[in-house]
Amino acid sequence: MAHQKTPYQWSARGFVAPGVILVAVLLYLPLLWTVFLSFTKYNGLGSPKWIGLDNYVEMFTDGDFVGSAMNTVLWVIGTLIIPVGIGLAIALLTWNLGGGIWLRLPFLIPYALSGIGVGVVWSFILSSGGALDQALAAFGITDPPRWLLDAPLNTVVMIIASSWQGVGVNALLFTIGLQAIPKEPLEAARIDGAGGVRLFTSILWPMLRPLTAVVVGLSIVASLKTFDIVWGMTKGGPGTVSETLALTMYKETFVNSDYGLGSAIAVFLTVITLVASVLYLRQQLSPKKEM
Amino acid sequence: MISRRTIAAAAAGLLLGTLALAGCSGDSGSGGEGEVAGTLDFYTDKAAWKPDFESLNEVSGDAVDITLKTTGYSDANQYDAFIKQSFRTDKSPGLFTWHTGESLKQLVDEGLVAETTDIWSKAVDEGWVSEDLRDSYTFDGKQYCVPMNIAYWIMFYNKAAFADNGIEVPTTWDELNTAAETLKDAGVTPYYQTSVLFTFQWFQHLVASTDPDLYAGLTTGDAKYTDPEIVDIMNVWLDEQKAGWFSDAGSTTDPAVGLKQGDYAMINFGTFFAGNLEGAGMTTDDYGMFAIPAVSDDLDATPVAVESGPICTAENSKQRDLGLAYAEWWMSPDAQTAWNDAHGDVAFNPKAKVSDPALAEIGEQIAGDDYMLYDRFFEAMPTEIVTTAIEQFGAFNANPGDPMPFLEKIQATADKYWAEQE
Repeated sequence: MAHQKTPYQWSARGFVAPGVILVAVLLYLPLLWTVFLSFTKYNGLGSPKWIGLDNYVEMFTDGDFVGSAMNTVLWVIGTLIIPVGIGLAIALLTWNLGGGIWLRLPFLIPYALSGIGVGVVWSFILSSGGALDQALAAFGITDPPRWLLDAPLNTVVMIIASSWQGVGVNALLFTIGLQAIPKEPLEAARIDGAGGVRLFTSILWPMLRPLTAVVVGLSIVASLKTFDIVWGMTKGGPGTVSETLALTMYKETFVNSDYGLGSAIAVFLTVITLVASVLYLRQQLSPKKEM
Repeated sequence: MISRRTIAAAAAGLLLGTLALAGCSGDSGSGGEGEVAGTLDFYTDKAAWKPDFESLNEVSGDAVDITLKTTGYSDANQYDAFIKQSFRTDKSPGLFTWHTGESLKQLVDEGLVAETTDIWSKAVDEGWVSEDLRDSYTFDGKQYCVPMNIAYWIMFYNKAAFADNGIEVPTTWDELNTAAETLKDAGVTPYYQTSVLFTFQWFQHLVASTDPDLYAGLTTGDAKYTDPEIVDIMNVWLDEQKAGWFSDAGSTTDPAVGLKQGDYAMINFGTFFAGNLEGAGMTTDDYGMFAIPAVSDDLDATPVAVESGPICTAENSKQRDLGLAYAEWWMSPDAQTAWNDAHGDVAFNPKAKVSDPALAEIGEQIAGDDYMLYDRFFEAMPTEIVTTAIEQFGAFNANPGDPMPFLEKIQATADKYWAEQE
């Protein structure tokens, strides 16, 4: 049965319209345009030329793309272990501690910096003959590793640089999660003699699960699109050994003016990010799961 | 009482109105369609040069009643995307800097830049510019854009490092190698190198001055990066790497500061680098310049890489006539003397006065019969090949070894590019 539209419904549509128009124009249209471009050969001038799946074939058969994908996987794993892990550790160690906020605050400060800024600062530290090498030389280490020149070491040290920036916000989020845990089960557990590791594994960790899911989910998304810090530190080099997918996408689009191939990488990255996020969050936040 | 429906409609209307106004807004210069006097909007990716460009407003008024209003971008890739996008709007620029080579060809092929054949004919007739330079701006017999500048890719050296080790400015390849050996033996690294961006210059010199035809073959796809001749040249480079003649590719020390500190004695860069050295506190008492001797003794003239950046006018710009009028003035000796005064480098106009005596001297020397010019690698090769090549040369500098894997990667990109052109 067709419903009669009430004046209320019409005005509701009117209220929603500006937002819908903005989302459609600013988000959906560019997305559809990018998907279209990924099937074309286009240099940013003239008209895109339809070439079917050629960009995707080229992408998956290019050794450098595979290298970028592997580096991106390394970033995902690395940023899960280091900034999420250390963030949790800082939150646990400073939780319920008098003046804990003053211990957490320094970790938050780098979060105010842009990724490019962090990259530039850390490249001064890690470049050959840079601050770290000079410091090591003071301890008699005159032949230090080539931090930014050798793979996969360069990706690992860039993950550490990124962690320096990201660990504070994770610590903050975990602290909020810890503070939201009801007192009663904690007290009950303590009365039962639980403490330390046992308290963490049996009570805190399970009760932090919804927040952990969000932190890990955000971390996965952020690491999949890693760009600025790598651009600031190595530009993906030497050669292409430290490139990530987002950097390859940028390079193909804006350096080589191959908008089609760049769009194909963007579509691939979007699909991977969406699939990873949806699968992970569904699994973690499913209401059927017991906490 | 105002109904919610009215409010919603008003909100939607306001939003659309704002979007429409935003689309219409944007300050453009006063010189409109067909006018040849007024304020000309000028866009460049050389943001740091903005004061230099705008200083010309003080002298341009005597010849043309046009003043520049400069918008500078500091990110070249972002700038290129902006310019390309502007051609789709009614705000395409009356004057903008661009790149020669394939980048300019793309704009010409799409009919996006205004023809400048008349300006070039006048400039050549007046002796303001060489016929050689015209080639870089010629497509199907017509010219597009005018040169903003030229730069020769030469060797800068630290005079103290040379004097301390009894080294004279080398005039042959053997003398250059002897100088490098002497420096190395004295504990001074002979040459600067990096692993990012400016990684191509040694390759370009080795190839072009060993066999200019081989270099030309790479630009057209007739020669391959994996050809034995190229491999032999790379092995010369590798031997020099193994001899420790190049600086640490992972250093981020400013190259001008490095030369000043004596981290290395020589650096192969464009003549514009003289400005960087001055900025680092060096004077021509501290640094010198010389054209790099050719590898081959059999050449009639020493090949020198030349780079030229164009200033263009969009064909559909509202300020097209204004832009072309300025471009015509720009090529004149008065304009180029003023430009050289503002921004020191060699000059493309032989009648312009070059303010820096050292640059004037090397500019005159290279313009003579003992030297021949070839296009810098960056402009001579297609963009995709340049991107892969500078990455691979960077990787080679960072980890010098068998050149073949690096060359194969470059050739793979070249094969793909040339196949697409057929």
